Amino acid sequence: MPSEIITLQLGQCGNQIGFEFWKRLCLEHGISPSGVLEDFATDGMDRKDVFFYQADDDHYIPRAVLLDLEPRVINTIMGSPYAKLYNPENVYLSKHGGGAGNNWASGYSQGDKLQEEIFDIIDREADGSDSLEGFILCHSIAGGTGSGMGSFIMERLADRYPKKLIQTFSVFPNQDEISDVVVQPYNSLLTLRRLTSAADSVVVLDNTALNRIACDRLHIQNPSFSQINNLVSTIMSVSTTTLRYPSYMNNNLIGLMAPLIPTPQLHFLMTGYTPLTSDSDVNNQQAVNIRKTTVLDVMRRLLQPKNMMVSTGPDKTNHHCYISILNIIQGEVDPSQVHKSLQRIRDRKMAQFIPWGPTSIQVALSRSSPYVQSNHRVSGLMLANHTSICSLFERALNQYDKLRKRGAFLDQFRREDIFKDDLTELDESRETVDSLVQEYEAATRSDYMQFSFKRAPGEAKSEDAKAAGDH
Amino acid sequence: MSKVDQVRGVLRNLIIESQAPYTPDIIVRHFRATHERRLSSNELLHLLATISQKRPNFQTVITEVTHILKTKDPMYALLVFVERFSCEDTHLKVEMPLPTTQSSTGSPVSAMSSLSIVQCASTRSLSDDSAIHTMSQSISTSTPMNYRRSESFPVLYTGGLCGRRNQNLKLYHQKQKKDPERADLSVIKERVLMAVSSSSKSSYRPLGSTEVGSTKSSVRIKTSNSFLMAVTCLPDEYRTHMLWDYCKVDGYKMVKPELGALPFASQQQVLLKELFHCLCGTRGNFIVPLSPDMNSTGIAKYETNFNIHVHLEKSLTEPLQDILPLASYFMGIQKMMAATDGHGQVINSLNAALQDLTQDFYVLVVQSEKELQQQELTVQKLLYYLQPTIWVMKEIWTTLVDVQLKEFVGAAVLTHLHGRIKRLEGDRAAQQIMINLTHQAAKPYMRMLQLWIQKGVIVDRNHEFLVEDNEVVHQGELPEHYSDDYWEKRYTVRRDRIPFFLEKYSDKILRTGKYLNVIRQCGKRVMPTQKMELHLDPTNERHVYVINDAYYFAARMLLDVLLTENDLMGHLQSVKNYLLLNQGDFTMQFMDACEDELSKNVDLVLPMTLENLLGLTLRLSSARNDPYKDDLHCELLTYDLVTQMSKIMNQKEEYWQSQDRLDLSGLECFAFTYEVKWPVSLVLNHIAISKYQMLFRQLFFCKHVERQLCKIWKENSIAKKFSAQAAELYRSAFTLRQRMMNAIQNLEYYMMIEIIEPNWHIFIEKMKKVENVDNVLGLHQDFLDSCLKNCMLTESSHLNRAIFKLCKICLKFCDFIQHSQRFFLDAELKSMVCDRGDDKMDSVDVEQGNSNWPQLETSLDPTDTFSEGVKRFDLQFTGLLISFLKQINNMAKKNTADRFMNLVHRINFNGFYSDQMEKLCVKNAMG
Repeated sequence: MPSEIITLQLGQCGNQIGFEFWKRLCLEHGISPSGVLEDFATDGMDRKDVFFYQADDDHYIPRAVLLDLEPRVINTIMGSPYAKLYNPENVYLSKHGGGAGNNWASGYSQGDKLQEEIFDIIDREADGSDSLEGFILCHSIAGGTGSGMGSFIMERLADRYPKKLIQTFSVFPNQDEISDVVVQPYNSLLTLRRLTSAADSVVVLDNTALNRIACDRLHIQNPSFSQINNLVSTIMSVSTTTLRYPSYMNNNLIGLMAPLIPTPQLHFLMTGYTPLTSDSDVNNQQAVNIRKTTVLDVMRRLLQPKNMMVSTGPDKTNHHCYISILNIIQGEVDPSQVHKSLQRIRDRKMAQFIPWGPTSIQVALSRSSPYVQSNHRVSGLMLANHTSICSLFERALNQYDKLRKRGAFLDQFRREDIFKDDLTELDESRETVDSLVQEYEAATRSDYMQFSFKRAPGEAKSEDAKAAGDH
Repeated sequence: MSKVDQVRGVLRNLIIESQAPYTPDIIVRHFRATHERRLSSNELLHLLATISQKRPNFQTVITEVTHILKTKDPMYALLVFVERFSCEDTHLKVEMPLPTTQSSTGSPVSAMSSLSIVQCASTRSLSDDSAIHTMSQSISTSTPMNYRRSESFPVLYTGGLCGRRNQNLKLYHQKQKKDPERADLSVIKERVLMAVSSSSKSSYRPLGSTEVGSTKSSVRIKTSNSFLMAVTCLPDEYRTHMLWDYCKVDGYKMVKPELGALPFASQQQVLLKELFHCLCGTRGNFIVPLSPDMNSTGIAKYETNFNIHVHLEKSLTEPLQDILPLASYFMGIQKMMAATDGHGQVINSLNAALQDLTQDFYVLVVQSEKELQQQELTVQKLLYYLQPTIWVMKEIWTTLVDVQLKEFVGAAVLTHLHGRIKRLEGDRAAQQIMINLTHQAAKPYMRMLQLWIQKGVIVDRNHEFLVEDNEVVHQGELPEHYSDDYWEKRYTVRRDRIPFFLEKYSDKILRTGKYLNVIRQCGKRVMPTQKMELHLDPTNERHVYVINDAYYFAARMLLDVLLTENDLMGHLQSVKNYLLLNQGDFTMQFMDACEDELSKNVDLVLPMTLENLLGLTLRLSSARNDPYKDDLHCELLTYDLVTQMSKIMNQKEEYWQSQDRLDLSGLECFAFTYEVKWPVSLVLNHIAISKYQMLFRQLFFCKHVERQLCKIWKENSIAKKFSAQAAELYRSAFTLRQRMMNAIQNLEYYMMIEIIEPNWHIFIEKMKKVENVDNVLGLHQDFLDSCLKNCMLTESSHLNRAIFKLCKICLKFCDFIQHSQRFFLDAELKSMVCDRGDDKMDSVDVEQGNSNWPQLETSLDPTDTFSEGVKRFDLQFTGLLISFLKQINNMAKKNTADRFMNLVHRINFNGFYSDQMEKLCVKNAMG
């Protein structure tokens, strides 16, 4: 009866990062691509059953549901050595196979149409676990399937399983390059609304930052998808490591999330990971990239914006701050170092925290897989709730506003049921995201609580924006 | 000798004495006969009276036996009877079988050949059980003359063991018989023995005459009513047949030539003869021992002074004055040996060694006497021969006097002897003697020591050994707290019983045996790999190496048994996993499973249900791979943590009973317990488990609170569906919840990550280098104590009460939120549908509050609104937290070594509470 977690992979991006995630989990738990436990891994004290269950012949099957509206990525997966790993009943491909055409509305309404079949799978998985704790959703917010169908499924899940947690790993589009998806701002905004209202926590994976990190820190000129996804899978696996290798604290999803998220809206988390290595490093630049790693080094580096997997843009007013931080430290750690590092960070004021409540850097010492060799003694993942994440939403708002002002590309949305009558869905989404941005802005100030009481409900947002500016 | 044989022996003696017409068998048969066939009591009594009438105390004995016969079995009466006479007979036993028909011819004085005394000495049966061992070479050196004359006694000094010596003596006698000069010696010996036996027999008679020094009476020695005068102050019970002690044999007319009339050479001859007697303790004419002062105490008690005949040549008396102290020393030693006989093994062994010396001394005298007979001895020559012996004897004598006066026994004797060795640094011969005496005296002690450090067994009838076994019950009989006390109390070192040379090693010695005992109790055979010979050689420290070897062997072996065979570390890891919540997923699952059961009142909780749920959880969580999972059990204690704390800290019995069952929930009373078998229970004993339990209860309670807070977090997360404006209303509740979460989680992090884990880490590191089980116990205790102290589970600080209060308020808050949840949820969802308005929202809130809060069990005023309720909790919680932090702050100021301060830093990491704490400070300062 462990706290099982079901992973839902949606769309091209979701399935790709999901695939990398499972690859990684198999490696860490000593499970072969066909699901058989390797001989060397039989006596592990890890908890495989959070993410896997065992078939009748004892081979491990991921609690994963693969959903897509077009076959390309799923076919790649099913053609890979890991094809036998998944339960084929859990792989769902839309029959017409046409995809969502990068249209949120299309994905959303297809989700509506296919919901019975999809929820058959999900319900079966949920029934198959003793005490399901929640769902992890992998998707991107820019495309059609992951964003549109993902939004729909998120809403349904929240209704259907109100007691279960929903965590998402949401990939945000790269801002630096011109997207081939023209309606991306619409898609993002509409998905953001669902992420705000339906998900319990969202781990933001910003493609902009991921690309930048791959270039700057891993010295890869043109990072490929798989290289980026490798980065993502690292973050996903490490963020679940306290669930899989239980220790004193943070042994379930809620224990991981609850301390990070003080108020329900502020549930967008950013991540950082250090030290980063890529496969090429191991071969070529070993000497360059392997640095001294102590707990303090790791924790200090995690606080540097350049290691953040979210590109928040320059913080001109320098008012953004941490709402909460959880560091998951792996490796050979002398527990007494943790205290010293925390003390140092506190004394040097290396991190800026919210003024309206107590908060601190929580450090979870986690065992790591004995089967994966690391060049570094200590590695660390930071899960942080930082107010600067709202810059990401602001950017999305700006792009949306630009597009919306022109009224561009709205036709393909109007074709779908949800936009048949009017575009209120878009307006409401904008309102939700806007209030989210404002809440994050408010969270940087000490009058966060009073601020909210002063706000007149239902009033024009412009006033608030002004008020925020005045402060 | 069996009891019956003893009875017969005594009876035989009595019969021979009284010449009654019985045999011992007949008498025994009479007394054994069945009731019908038995003689009457009177006849039996008569029987006894007949055979014992020659004894002085026969009247009293017969009266006693008469009484016994009336009430008890005749056989018992006979045994009592025999008992009464057997103690008198002990000194007769040896002599009785000797032929009594020997006529006394010749002068008894001349018959006092030293040879006979040698025989006496060897026949003297030492009552101590330590066998007479080698007459070592070094003892011989004490009498240098032996060497010179050794060619004439070649066999005597090759002797090894007691048996061989007897053989040697026989050979010696045979040799003597061949020697025409000494042909009559064996005859003389018999005669002397006769005299001794009759004298000691008569010593029981009331002394008929008080005349001292009478030589007039012409009573023959053969007659049984010869009188004997004791001139010493020695009590009768110390007078063995061995000790002449210048007894005055009354009735024998000494030949007393006029010394003055003799020529010098003859005078010297007579004097030397007299001197030899004197040296052996026989009374003479010209050298007369002064009657000792009866009241003398101290050293004088063992000293004899002599009067030398005034007519002797000056040139003879001068050297005599130098030789005579030897007689005094020798007699003193003999007296003390007699006095201390049976005072423990060490003394007995020492006496045995002294006995060897005595024998050497006699040999020396005999050798000198032989020279005298060959007319070659002069007083000066004798002095020359005896001089080294005099020095040595003096040393021995003073040493013994010290022992005697200070009433040393056992280890103290050894310490004293050992001390003497050092002081005799300048006198090699004496030192050598002392070393040998010490060596011999220490033998039984070292044998005990060897047995202890080799097998862990104590055989110590006289309570001399430094380790004492305090076993009261056997392990099997009282299993509950057996292990607790075992280590500390079962074996103890008696400080007063440690010989000086073992003082430094007493701890090691204690532990060696203790370890061996534990190993044995584990059902393992203790088989030392190498043979061990433990002797005390005062000149070197070889025994120390043996002790050390034994110690390392035992320590290594027990450590092996404990760490390797019984996998102590595995057990400790399991205990840490469960009782210190290191196995987080197990804890979580168990809490899930037992939540309902534990929320009941402790009286309603069914322990069986808990146990079943525990078993289920163990098998389903990642704990299923743990081989020791079945050692884990549930326990419902009848007291809360605070009470348990005072119990552990005080460890007084009354605390265990004093508390009545409080009105507690199952959760407050619940604890895991871990049951292990011997020998792991040595480490994981009752106290240790209790300490783990205290940690567990605090951690478990915090975890419970954390879970409740997480639960309302999940329930509250519904608010994200609300419009941003609506959610604001609850922000104060959310932030309060977050503050609680922050405090509780940081408390947990602090205890787990900053206290338990680093301490465990240190413990593990130290355990890698551990050398013995005492270290293991010490380290484990340090680990636990350090954890307890830093987790604020010590009584001195009342911090843990504050923690408890904090937890309670958090739980109340959770209740409050859960109760109000559905109302505000309904309201909110409704208002989302309805037209949203500020006023309306508030009014809904107030309405809901008014109608529902009376149902709440919290002490809320029914007119409270939700936000006011939250505010109230906020104030309470903040107040408690701030005062808690303040308290830690104050403690940290006093004692900077504690780590409590870290907790403050953690909870107040971003300085959120700093202002409030300062305000409180100011307030305190002002008011």
